[in-house]
Amino acid sequence: MLKIRIDNTGYEVPEGTTILDAAGKAGKEIPTLCHKDGVTHYTSCMVCMIKDRHTDKFLPSCSALVQDGMDIVTSGDEVTEIRKKAVALLLTEHRAECEAPCRIVCPAGLNIPLMNRHLSAGDMKAASELSRSELTAEEFRCISCPGYCENACRRKKTDTPVSIRNIQLFIYSSISGDKTIQRPDKQQSEKTEKSTKAIDPGHVRNQFSSRTGKLEEAEMLEWLKECEPGIPRHREIPSFDMAGEEAKSCMHCDCRAAGDCRLRDLAKHMAVKDPRGKITGSPITKKINHQTGLIFESAKCVKCALCVRICEDSTDDPALCFLHRGFVTVLSEPVTESFENVLRKQADAVIKICPTGALSWFGKAREA
Amino acid sequence: MNKEQNDIETRCDNCSPLNEEEIRKTVEEVVGQTGRDGEKVILILQEVQKRLNFLPSEALKHICRITDITPGQLSGVATFYSQFRHIPAGEHIIKICTGTACHVKGSTLISDSFKRTLGIDESTSTSIDKLFSVEEVACLGCCTLAPVVQIDNKTYGHVRPNQTEEIINDFLNSMDKKGVTEEPPEGDQIDAEVRIGLGSCCVAGGSREVLESVMEVKKDYELNIRLKAVGCVGVCNQTPLLEIVTGDHLHSRYVNVRKEQVEEIILKHVKPRNISKRIKSGITDIANTFLSDKMLKSPVNLPGEVREKYLDGFLNYQYHIATIHSGVLSPDSFDEYTLFGGFSALEKCVRYLDPRNIIDQFLQSGLRGRGGAGFPLARKWETTMNSADSTKYVVCNGDEGDPGAFMDRMLLESFPFRIIEGMTIAGFVTGASSGIFYIRAEYPLAVSRVRHAIEVCYEKGVLGKNIYGSSFSFDISIFEGAGAFVCGEETALIASLEGRRGTPHLRPPYPAEKGYRGHPTLVNNVETLASVPWILNNGSDAFRSVGTPASKGTKVFALAGKVARGGLIEVPMGITIRDIVEKIGGGVAGNRKFKAVQIGGPSGGCIPESMADTPVDFEELNKLGAMMGSGGLVVLDDTDCMVDMAKYFLLFTHRQSCGKCTFCRVGTKVMLDIIDRLSKGTATLADLNELEELCNSVRDGSLCGLGKTAPNPVLTGIRYFREEYEAHTRGICPTGKCRDLIKYVITDRCNGCTICSLQCPVDAIPYTPYEKHVIDHSLCTKCDNCRIVCPVSAIETPNVNA
Repeated sequence: MLKIRIDNTGYEVPEGTTILDAAGKAGKEIPTLCHKDGVTHYTSCMVCMIKDRHTDKFLPSCSALVQDGMDIVTSGDEVTEIRKKAVALLLTEHRAECEAPCRIVCPAGLNIPLMNRHLSAGDMKAASELSRSELTAEEFRCISCPGYCENACRRKKTDTPVSIRNIQLFIYSSISGDKTIQRPDKQQSEKTEKSTKAIDPGHVRNQFSSRTGKLEEAEMLEWLKECEPGIPRHREIPSFDMAGEEAKSCMHCDCRAAGDCRLRDLAKHMAVKDPRGKITGSPITKKINHQTGLIFESAKCVKCALCVRICEDSTDDPALCFLHRGFVTVLSEPVTESFENVLRKQADAVIKICPTGALSWFGKAREA
Repeated sequence: MNKEQNDIETRCDNCSPLNEEEIRKTVEEVVGQTGRDGEKVILILQEVQKRLNFLPSEALKHICRITDITPGQLSGVATFYSQFRHIPAGEHIIKICTGTACHVKGSTLISDSFKRTLGIDESTSTSIDKLFSVEEVACLGCCTLAPVVQIDNKTYGHVRPNQTEEIINDFLNSMDKKGVTEEPPEGDQIDAEVRIGLGSCCVAGGSREVLESVMEVKKDYELNIRLKAVGCVGVCNQTPLLEIVTGDHLHSRYVNVRKEQVEEIILKHVKPRNISKRIKSGITDIANTFLSDKMLKSPVNLPGEVREKYLDGFLNYQYHIATIHSGVLSPDSFDEYTLFGGFSALEKCVRYLDPRNIIDQFLQSGLRGRGGAGFPLARKWETTMNSADSTKYVVCNGDEGDPGAFMDRMLLESFPFRIIEGMTIAGFVTGASSGIFYIRAEYPLAVSRVRHAIEVCYEKGVLGKNIYGSSFSFDISIFEGAGAFVCGEETALIASLEGRRGTPHLRPPYPAEKGYRGHPTLVNNVETLASVPWILNNGSDAFRSVGTPASKGTKVFALAGKVARGGLIEVPMGITIRDIVEKIGGGVAGNRKFKAVQIGGPSGGCIPESMADTPVDFEELNKLGAMMGSGGLVVLDDTDCMVDMAKYFLLFTHRQSCGKCTFCRVGTKVMLDIIDRLSKGTATLADLNELEELCNSVRDGSLCGLGKTAPNPVLTGIRYFREEYEAHTRGICPTGKCRDLIKYVITDRCNGCTICSLQCPVDAIPYTPYEKHVIDHSLCTKCDNCRIVCPVSAIETPNVNA
């Protein structure tokens, strides 16, 4: 047994224990990102830093083993500062948008990309539910709004913005059954109920949100991969089919893992600000496997290697691996395989373990 | 040779010229030799690339098919190491050294110039005719000849940007020549022994040509002399070096020998035995005296003291332990090594000594690891020895990658037997039965010498089973690194040995507990192992008597940069930096002012002239924010910009980072961006503060030594040269080194000679004879050619914002 101190309390710990485990047993919580119980250590994110006062050194607690005489500090300014720095640096290379520009500017904060995903999947019901639950009656029809969403729509830069307002109008009319301005009473009562628990429209803007920074032309093209090519565009949305078609031109600028992102949670929790200048050196690339429904967005990857580690032993199902080294290290399919060919069996597992939105299902949001 | 060339040409004519059948056959051949084990991935890729010039994707696919290597492992490894090419390269590869010494002497300009000459733009690295590829390499280890360019295996030193065409032509011409063939010495009685250094620096300086001339002279005059190629002498910037030892044991040394002088030099010391040849030599002598005044200036006519004064200053302050008998021992000769007491330490160990006893001796000696951190050797050996595991390994870390350091290369090239002996002793003490040399692929000469030495050792019975009749058996193999600086870190080195990406992991577990293949592994630096036999032969007290209280013995440094006499030196610990620069190095060259020394390469720092009285000692250097590192010592003068130096080192560490931990991967990138803005004059004081803060975080938070020490060059720069950094925030580079902050202008001194106009590669100077020339700034690429060639020094480089 080794004698150590954690936050000024003495403990006896068996040899070979990691500091993270020892601290966990002592009831101390240390944030982690690249660490998962049961997966081999990798020590990349450095979010789990602690300080050993005995040697006056910072150590990543997830893989540092306890040594006799350690005097560990798991919280406090110094430790918080270096953890914050690690998260800030990860965000510097994390060129991703937690929330789509359209949603951020929407006065009601409607999750427009999600609505579009529902519509393009042909799920009218889910789309209506979403609008109904997120919007008050006034907002629902988007009549008084000058259309900030369409102005902010990234698609506008290539041709025309997605007709978000007209889609909303159509959803409203199909729900209410008529095209008059009056709302049914039932809706009215629901509205009062809603407005009390309605999310503050500013909530989207107020919470932590990573932004991509200036996009280059090539990166816009990557984003266009998310749209179905050659689908007809509609300004007026008179029918459900057309709403679905128009929704397919959405570039899904938001993150599918916005509600299930370890990095975002950490940033929120530690009050880290999104760094001013993102490093544009990590290009945004999107790879979509339409067969398995896996989408990989390299610029969101924090190189934690969790997905690589859990698939290391699989021989029959090629997995992702790292290419190159240093800052340009990139997660990718092996150079000998095509993206269509990898992770046919393990897609589910890697998506579940990914701490950011780098790996997701193309068609649906990831749930926490 | 010709056939081979044709082969490559046909391959390179179109990019996928090999048919898949052929590729598969090659891969199968290679795998047949190497085995299909996953650990062999680097070796397989190296062999395939050697045969196919690059790694076609079909080759990679086929490797996956017929070996145990998974596609993920293969892709990761094939893209991690910089040696591997995925597109075909030109027939000849021009390697431009970007080591520290070369950098301060303008390697960027050289690189630009080669690319311009060959018409290579940013999108490619190969000339259109597929004849040449240009590669920038970390360090060729010929720092004293900086800037250095290597084309295939031919090295050119002291290159100037306006010589590129000349060099390419010289290379193409030299291809027809035959290589040197050495003849065995005849007869027992010889009149003299002629020693010529054949280290990499010497070869680059032209010692092969000198060797050829000596052989010609020998043949012409039927001289009874023995020609001996010796390892590095250390006087690397004065190469080629020639030494003649005559029968009466008189040594005469000549530096900077040119092949035309050889005849004269040799005939001065050795008289032909054959009478007719004697007359011939006499006539040549007389003719020379009458016909030219060349003889008067010739080194032969200088008195010995004057001629050797240069060398004495350089050699007198040194103390040789790791490099003992330098310039005397022939690197390939086992007999000579044993004649000078070689392998006696090993014999003593395996026959009479107990491992415990040996460790005590090393504990006594105070020897600390020479790889950089200075960990006590005895403790490392003890940990490995105490492990109960029956399989143990000893690894010699020869992955010297510091730009500006080449002592490991020199030791491996010059004293392969000594290092083998040190390693075998380490194996005996720790109980290991196999040793591995990890040598970087950029050191082909070191690899071939060590390989030869190992073969000889097996023949002589100092390696293999039952060494010296004892029960101790030891085997040594060589692993060639594939180009990754981070593999100098011991855990990354082991990852690389195991055929994985060279990423370090957190210690403990230390390799001495759990290393290669999960077994205890002792990783020692080349220089450390080279000191081992000396300590056992001379006793630990002799070693202790040299050095400071905490750092014992000597340290080998690669002294380079703006110093009058650069080279490889071994000095006692505790010598001051000033003594190294002034007494050994002969002060700063070219009447410039001594500004600072950069010690320890990318992990070290810049120590200003005002602190040059600091003694060389692990702790003392750490206190200053620098570190011993592996021993690069680059002298900087007042024309060197500290921001530029910091940028250079950061760019290096940033490129060499393995990319695993956040602080090193992203932190160094953000730091580099800020430094880059500083060098362009667009950074603010706030940026400078952010840079300092970030440096501290990267130092505290990185996983391994590479990241932890990467901020040192910046931090010491800010600490000792803050005003220079602040000047850059105002858009001014005080030394005029940052290219973005200067412009080239022609002053009134111009006499209209048009040389600059003719030399300008981009026609930025119109041809106006007898008129003052003008530089068109919109075209000027700041290649420096005009300034170099101007006979009246009319070209100046003032600050843009001054």
